[in-house]
Amino acid sequence: MSVGQLAQGKMPVAVKDAAKKDWLYLVALVAFTLMALMALIGPWIAPYNPTQLYAGPENGLPTAQNLLGTDDLGRDVLSRILCGAGVSVFAPIIIVLLSTIIGSLLAVTAAWFGGITRGTIARIIDVIFAIPGLVLAVLAVAMFGKGLPAPIVALSIAFIPVVARLTQTAASRELGKPYIAALRVQGVSSLAICFRHLIPALVPVVAAQMAVGFGYAMLDLAAISFLGLGQQPPAADWGSMISGGKTGILAGAPEQALFPSIFVVVTVLAVSIIGARVTAWAEEKER
Amino acid sequence: MSNKPVLELDHLSIAMPHRTLVHNCTLAVAAGEAVGLVGESGSGKTLSVRAVAGLLPDDFTTGGAIRILGRDVAEMGSKERKELRATRIGMVFQTPRAHLNPLLTIGDFMTEALVHVAGKRRTAADRRAAELLDEVGIPDPVRRLRQYPAELSGGLLQRVMIAATLAMDPEILLADEITTALDVTTQEEVMAVIGDLRKHRELSMLFITHDLALASAVTDRVAVMQHGRTVETLHSATMRQEARVEYTKVLMAAALDEAKPEELVRDRDATSVLAVSGLSKTYQVPGATGGRETLVALNGVSFELDQGGSLGIVGESGSGKSTSAKIICGLERADAGTITVTGEDWSLPARGGAARRGRAKKVQMVFQDPYQSLDRRQTIRECLSEAIRVHRPSDSREAVTRRIEELMRQVTLDPELADQRPKSLSGGQRQRVAIARALAADPEILVLDEAVSAIDVTTQVEILTLLDTIRRETGVALLMITHDLTVIRRLCDRVVVMRAGRVEEYGTADEILDAPRADYTRLLLDSIPREGWKPRRRRPGRTSAIPTITLMHRVKEMRGL
Repeated sequence: MSVGQLAQGKMPVAVKDAAKKDWLYLVALVAFTLMALMALIGPWIAPYNPTQLYAGPENGLPTAQNLLGTDDLGRDVLSRILCGAGVSVFAPIIIVLLSTIIGSLLAVTAAWFGGITRGTIARIIDVIFAIPGLVLAVLAVAMFGKGLPAPIVALSIAFIPVVARLTQTAASRELGKPYIAALRVQGVSSLAICFRHLIPALVPVVAAQMAVGFGYAMLDLAAISFLGLGQQPPAADWGSMISGGKTGILAGAPEQALFPSIFVVVTVLAVSIIGARVTAWAEEKER
Repeated sequence: MSNKPVLELDHLSIAMPHRTLVHNCTLAVAAGEAVGLVGESGSGKTLSVRAVAGLLPDDFTTGGAIRILGRDVAEMGSKERKELRATRIGMVFQTPRAHLNPLLTIGDFMTEALVHVAGKRRTAADRRAAELLDEVGIPDPVRRLRQYPAELSGGLLQRVMIAATLAMDPEILLADEITTALDVTTQEEVMAVIGDLRKHRELSMLFITHDLALASAVTDRVAVMQHGRTVETLHSATMRQEARVEYTKVLMAAALDEAKPEELVRDRDATSVLAVSGLSKTYQVPGATGGRETLVALNGVSFELDQGGSLGIVGESGSGKSTSAKIICGLERADAGTITVTGEDWSLPARGGAARRGRAKKVQMVFQDPYQSLDRRQTIRECLSEAIRVHRPSDSREAVTRRIEELMRQVTLDPELADQRPKSLSGGQRQRVAIARALAADPEILVLDEAVSAIDVTTQVEILTLLDTIRRETGVALLMITHDLTVIRRLCDRVVVMRAGRVEEYGTADEILDAPRADYTRLLLDSIPREGWKPRRRRPGRTSAIPTITLMHRVKEMRGL
């Protein structure tokens, strides 16, 4: 929901229209809202303390007491998922926000000044592009220690080039339009043109990009946690739970890895669908 | 064939899911006859023709009947209908460049239908393609077959399109605004080619255009369309006498020989408010064969604009007229030459915000495309108040509101529209907003860069009248940049005729329009469709546009970047 609101602040109408036309979009919105709610109030609705050992049997199957089963130490999987939701959902949002703000600033600066400025920024972005996000994150963990802050900062940096490239293309195109020339002839100041005309014009593109970026950020973070470099035990996020669930698969209890995986997949899918929708909608508006 | 019409539209109606766009379009084209279909944008002329060619979107529905060679299209099987459309109908569109794949050569494009539909051998198809190009007057056709669309000018491409439609020997040619995007001299060449083809092939033609004068010059009959209905059908030769409907008369009023509005009484020896001398500008463009070439956009251009006067700059595309306007408004930097505005030297673009605001109070500009020159997210009120606040940032809210109302009144725009966004305005209304925005600064010079060429004919007349009124009331000097000499007649005292970056002729409007000295001016004037005009092939050899790229020297490709 947040992405759509960012785009225009007219989401209720959009939701209504979408509900009429496209059930998939509506399902995605509902799914993401549920995930966001979980992230907010998860710890309070969790039936057990997520670190409480032997809340049920070891590698237990789903029962009425433990709805999603228990892990190898008998911890309640549902409680751990609910408590890990905050980190799993909000860390990608932080990554997307950071990379979007910095990337867009670079992009607008490059498009606005052109020439040497654009060349320099383009080269810097090329360099960052050359390093894969995951590698950068692993490197950051190696330098600054395990835990979430290092990979979040590293992934934010790794996502900057994608945002900057796309936004710069859009900004350059927008700056080439006659209405910008018209504003200059009117004597409107550069700052006013930039903040009152150029940046609002870029919002749809950037919002769509944010939705797509969220999916990638979430997957990358899950991968980092899976490698044991992100959230550290006993605290859990979905990625580390999948990692920890490996042993359960051998013990004949695949649920403890399966359920967090499903949550990751559903969230990423929901946000991607919303993102695709926002993109299509932005393109339609441009016409 | 007897008198049976080749194409007959019988009470054709076309509807979108929620709206009927064409209500009643009735016309017939006999064998060998050319019929014009004239109307403004949105009148349904293009839709009607697309219905004939089977090019309507899937969710559109049609009523009435389309009969080709006496047979109702709706009663045919889909295969037969496809066959009929492939072989009996040829369609040519407005923008040839958009309809050609830039990665295929002209030869690939020309022979595609011959090889795949008619099943000819490639060599035979190549031979036929060369013959067809020859028939439409393209010199050196065999070489052209190996060229890419990007290497050909707009006029040549349009002829390629015509030649391609001839490949299947159609009975009728559907021509949808085929010369609208072309310069007036190129338009004449293309129309002359079509005239010859019709003579030699007994080709019928349905010619769609917004230009009544052109339609009457190249067709036998003209059907006038308004709001999805054909309102009247006239014989081209006697159109002026026959016209009954008011709308047709309005369309006719936009002709060159229309009388000039009464002479503006003003001081003969008024001081010049803008003086341009020796203006030059070159661009570095990627060359055709690698390396870089120098494009000479302006080459020593000089002219003057009197206080409260109006100067027209006329020329074909690539003549440098828009570049001059951009340099005057500070959007481009000139290589050489001086610009003097009310005694100040403006040869270099303004530095800094304050200097730019100062210049904006003197010179304002109205752009060609009213759809793109307004910010689509701003309401009209926001747009105008921004323009007002630039110069008077401390004005009270009431003062700004009053000024907005005054500006909207000045451009005869309904005040109710103030809170609309450009999307819900018509082209004419948008251009009025653009003019109001330019007037907000109370400028001394208003530069109009093709300000009416993207607008319908009837609206054009309104806007030109409005500009004339504004000039009388406020004493603003007008600099009109246009390719259309009829616009000059209506509005300008003095005219500069430009070609390839140079001034060909400079004088008063009467001198230039009635007794032109330069050959080029005469050519431009003769190319304008009017009563009794027939398109002629003027220069058998001149098929490309006027050359604008001059190879001065080659610069080595920059390394690294």
